[in-house]
Amino acid sequence: MIEFDGVGKIYPGSRTALANVTFRLAPGEMAFLTGHSGAGKSTLLRLLLRLETATTGSVRVAGTDLDSLSGKKLARYRRRVGVVFQDPNLEDDLTIYDNVALPLRIAGFSEVDIPKRVKAALSRVDLADQINSSPRYLSGGQQQRVGIARAIVHRPALLVADEPTGNLDPDLSARVMRMFTKFQQLGVTILVATHERAVVESLPFRRLVIENGILISDGMKKID
Amino acid sequence: MISRWLLDNAQAIFDATKRTKDHLMQFAFLMMLLGVLLAIPGWLAQIWFGMQSVVPAEAIHSEILIFLDDQTDVESRIELEVKLENYEFIKSVTFVSKNDALINLSKEDGLSGIEELIDQNPLPDAFRVRFDTRAGAEAEQTFVDQLRLDDRVQSLKYYPSTRIRYSTLVDTLGFLGIAFSALTIIGVLMAVFLASAADVVDDRQRIELYTLLGASQRYIKRPYLYRASLMGFMSGTVACIVIIMANKFSSEIVVQNLQALNPEFEELPVDNRVIISIYITSVLASWIGAERAVCHRLKLLN
Repeated sequence: MIEFDGVGKIYPGSRTALANVTFRLAPGEMAFLTGHSGAGKSTLLRLLLRLETATTGSVRVAGTDLDSLSGKKLARYRRRVGVVFQDPNLEDDLTIYDNVALPLRIAGFSEVDIPKRVKAALSRVDLADQINSSPRYLSGGQQQRVGIARAIVHRPALLVADEPTGNLDPDLSARVMRMFTKFQQLGVTILVATHERAVVESLPFRRLVIENGILISDGMKKID
Repeated sequence: MISRWLLDNAQAIFDATKRTKDHLMQFAFLMMLLGVLLAIPGWLAQIWFGMQSVVPAEAIHSEILIFLDDQTDVESRIELEVKLENYEFIKSVTFVSKNDALINLSKEDGLSGIEELIDQNPLPDAFRVRFDTRAGAEAEQTFVDQLRLDDRVQSLKYYPSTRIRYSTLVDTLGFLGIAFSALTIIGVLMAVFLASAADVVDDRQRIELYTLLGASQRYIKRPYLYRASLMGFMSGTVACIVIIMANKFSSEIVVQNLQALNPEFEELPVDNRVIISIYITSVLASWIGAERAVCHRLKLLN
């Protein structure tokens, strides 16, 4: 599903964010991307979302080289990816329903299908009863779950999460991770960037460790 | 497909209206500021067009009265008329026969028994030629000199317009007016442009979110363009109100002077061209400002 092949990213000013990163993630696989702040996790995710382009190497998703995408093709690719942010980035002006419906409206789903899908997504994160509330009145954990519902409502093949438990207490973090595990069991490929050791060690998934832009460990094995 | 397009546009209009409502004070302040700024060049143009419409044509257009030689036959006269009409800077050519001239003279002087005088009419046939405003002093003088040499012309009287008589002063004032207006317009356009751009910069996160959700550029741009158009339209309306009020005020100041030129003068008429130009400029500048700002933001994300 995801193929990073010798990927390097150098920002202006010769700052190397990533160097020769190579790994593959199979369809339906879940992995954690860990490392300290500034290690290069966010850069790697930005490359995967094609918010940046690699300076060297290639990033491929489902066989498509992301560098070759632009315009409508790039928009179509992004519609197949679900994204969960540390800050859920909800629109306060909209209700929970409208926030979750956003990817569906953007993708051009019919107004007949949208309510069913939104309700199903909110049920998965146990927030079906809050459907008409405003995000302003939700707790941080609830807002994060709305963000997750928005990321999965269009049933993406790939789910990318950037520090999804960064603002949550341990109990809520565990709950969010259980949700990701369920999605993985449904066949979604998931890459979660986190620096929380406890979260990573509590779950039996592959771990990619990145340090100073270099992938130093993949799975439980150390790379020489 | 069409219903999707309508829904997307309805959503964009709803977003734009909601955002305007949520930031009403900011919107109102910008609208007033841009409106007043837009009114400055608009008012200058309004004075220019307004004065043109009340100042008598003689002040703007130079004239020549060409008195024809007694020996000029009809054919030669028509030939001369065609020659005059074909000159590029001529606005109108009017033939005044010697009889018409006599009738006019009798009306002006209160003479009666005109029938008796017609046989002894000493007046010559004449052409009244009016230049258009494109002719400069030099072109008009050259043309007049050429006419003086024509055998069919007995004599002529050249009445240069006020514009020509004070051409140096008019040119200087005109240049200063155009330069000031151009600078003001550039300033106003930049202000409108920056106001639209600032609106977009405020929404950086939202644009990034929509981009990541796979929204097309058109989808992302729509609410900003609607909002910018609304801002442009409202600023244009404020500008027009300011211009109309300023026009009333300035008319009151010059009313006595202008009544000397035109006794029926009450107020400088508001020129529709100014109003239309204000609306087009404000909506277009706002629209382009928002369009460019969103495009710049999207370029960084794509």
